[in-house]
Amino acid sequence: MNGSTLTPSRHLVLPTLNGRQRLGATLLALLLAFAWLVPWLFEADPARQQLTRILQLPTLAEPLGTDHLGRSLLARLASAVRLSLGMALLSVTSAAVPGVILGVIAGWRGGWLDRVLGTLADACLALPGLLLVLLLVAIAPGNFWALYVGISLVLWIEYFRVVRARTRILVASPQLEASRLLGFGPFYLFRRHLWPELAPQVLTLAAFGAASAILAMAALGFVSVGLRPPTAELGLMMIELLPYYHEAPWAMAQPILVLFVLVLSLNLLAGRDPR
Amino acid sequence: MSAYLLQAEDVTIQGEGVTIAPFSCALEAGSRLTLLGETGSGKSLLAQAIMGTLPRGLSARGRLVIDGETFDAADDKSRRALWGRRLALLPQEPWHALDPTMRAVSQVAESHRHVAGRDRRHAQQAAWADLAELGLAEAGGKLPGELSGGMAQRVAFAAASAGGAPIVIADEPTKGLDAPRRDAVVELLARTPEGGGVLLTITHDIDVARRLGGEVVILRQGQVVERGPAQQVLTHPQSEYGQELLNAEPSRWPRPAPLGETTQAPVVTATDLAKTRGGRELFRELSLAVRPGEIVGVVGPSGCGKSTLGDILLGVTRADGGGILRAPGHPLGFQKLYQDPPAAFSPHWQLSRLLDDLVRRHRLDRSAIPPLMARLGLDEHLLERRPGEISGGELQRFAILRVLLLEPCFLFADEPTSRLDPITQRQTLALLVELARERRCGVMLVSHDPVLIERICDRRIVLGDEQVSAAGQALYPAPVLV
Repeated sequence: MNGSTLTPSRHLVLPTLNGRQRLGATLLALLLAFAWLVPWLFEADPARQQLTRILQLPTLAEPLGTDHLGRSLLARLASAVRLSLGMALLSVTSAAVPGVILGVIAGWRGGWLDRVLGTLADACLALPGLLLVLLLVAIAPGNFWALYVGISLVLWIEYFRVVRARTRILVASPQLEASRLLGFGPFYLFRRHLWPELAPQVLTLAAFGAASAILAMAALGFVSVGLRPPTAELGLMMIELLPYYHEAPWAMAQPILVLFVLVLSLNLLAGRDPR
Repeated sequence: MSAYLLQAEDVTIQGEGVTIAPFSCALEAGSRLTLLGETGSGKSLLAQAIMGTLPRGLSARGRLVIDGETFDAADDKSRRALWGRRLALLPQEPWHALDPTMRAVSQVAESHRHVAGRDRRHAQQAAWADLAELGLAEAGGKLPGELSGGMAQRVAFAAASAGGAPIVIADEPTKGLDAPRRDAVVELLARTPEGGGVLLTITHDIDVARRLGGEVVILRQGQVVERGPAQQVLTHPQSEYGQELLNAEPSRWPRPAPLGETTQAPVVTATDLAKTRGGRELFRELSLAVRPGEIVGVVGPSGCGKSTLGDILLGVTRADGGGILRAPGHPLGFQKLYQDPPAAFSPHWQLSRLLDDLVRRHRLDRSAIPPLMARLGLDEHLLERRPGEISGGELQRFAILRVLLLEPCFLFADEPTSRLDPITQRQTLALLVELARERRCGVMLVSHDPVLIERICDRRIVLGDEQVSAAGQALYPAPVLV
């Protein structure tokens, strides 16, 4: 045997997507392109008011029309999508990382550590998610971090529980015992044995989690306890445009449609075929 | 034509890279047919073709005559009306086929009621009568999880045959059972032909085929290699493959080279070991020592603590009492081979990656790998595959390779070949014994086959099971060191 056969190929294998997941990925890619290309191609400020040109129909200069303060809806929507996705990514990451790490530790070590962490998760779970977020928002109104911490606190539990349950089974499996007898350490066991098994489930949870984070943020904006105007945020835009739905239904429909497509794309992406 | 209960004419199966050559048989009342072959020989597919339960992507062709009625094998659904009434299938590993939330007697009564069409009261009575006849009168109220493998097998048999089907197809009925339970199942199966039915058995166990008698068909890669009366085929096979298969029986293996006198210190010594699990005492005051190069066999019925004993010696599990002394200077010298090779590997990585990990972890000498691979009959291109993509025999040999690279002094082999077919089993064990002798590695070999242990081991440890002895099948006395 020469050296080349022993050196494994290192290119990343992309997971195979089914039809629905491919549709979801395409929709998400289009939204991402929209959110990041618009400020590039159009020099429009989402906060600039032009009170002489309120609630205008789409024109060549303003492809999506203007709102009740004459602000460019195109610029505002792009900014809102950036905000929602950024927020979703941030809260999903900060929920998934501790969720997975604590889940692996609890499932692996067992004993009192498992019980303590399990109780902590149950305590977080006992509060309804939205209530927890509202509580934090009440402490620090209109703050971005309060929303973010609240949403992450709700989301980490599901990662923790799924990972803990799976780890418990895997730690007792012959494959881990064999590698341990061969002298491999915990980091190796995690990388080679645990992560490949956990990754698909964690990624599915992440896509669902991102969708629920986006929805939670929009819901809070809609009931006016989330972010404050003039931030361009999907829920906030809906409530601001609600009084004008009779004069400008197209304006109000835009944030709703974008939110719908955003959540749909993430849910489609998460939906794996049942085995 | 009406003399035959089951007739198959030129049944072929095609699809997804599988081809089963035309197969024909004609079975009259009271006859038995055994399909013998290794994993992947297509023997189970033939049974599924007769039942009409082929997996998606495979299609059957040919003609079937069942109880005088003619069917087209291609039409899967046409045989459904016969299930349970004229055609019964005894599934593989019946404990998976029973409903885990339903008591044994109800599962049998269900067949009596819905398949045989009796009313609720008669169905219950008939179910209890069936169970009593099979020696399960006390097990009727138990859930499948509380039954042993052999008992679950009998309950499944009662449920499958409650409809009074004269044609019984048994798919690997003895898989995972130890020797005495296997013989009991064979006896049970033999009732069908004795009562004027037809029995079609699928097995890879030559001993089962021999005990059942009747006609034997040896299959290999979808082709009929040889067929004829059991006595003739299983004593003087004409085909080369048939002879090979027969020589793979443990009783015909050559004995390994003798260990010779050794004055070396044992690699592991255990004194007065005791272990209780789930409120049941597995063993007590068990003392043993394994010397370098020695093969020690462990036999006993399932659940008697064979694997636990090995795990204690490896230090994976703790004993309740007693002491273990391992040879010093071998921190990685205590290794294990697993019963189900794919379960001992992470399925997501290429074998080359796993091997590379090991070499790097312990800074091993890479030049030792190619000769050892050649010795184990492992081809280099196998390294590019993942554990699930090579055969069980190859993977078990790869496991041996991985373990031997660490130069172990004690190897615990937990039924390492029970999931392999006979020919592969023989090759793998012969290699293991040879390498153990050569490298002065003590081996503790667990098997449920006493003949195999008796054949290749230098010494034998028998672990007992009170339940079995209480039931009057005292094949295994209390712990003794022979």
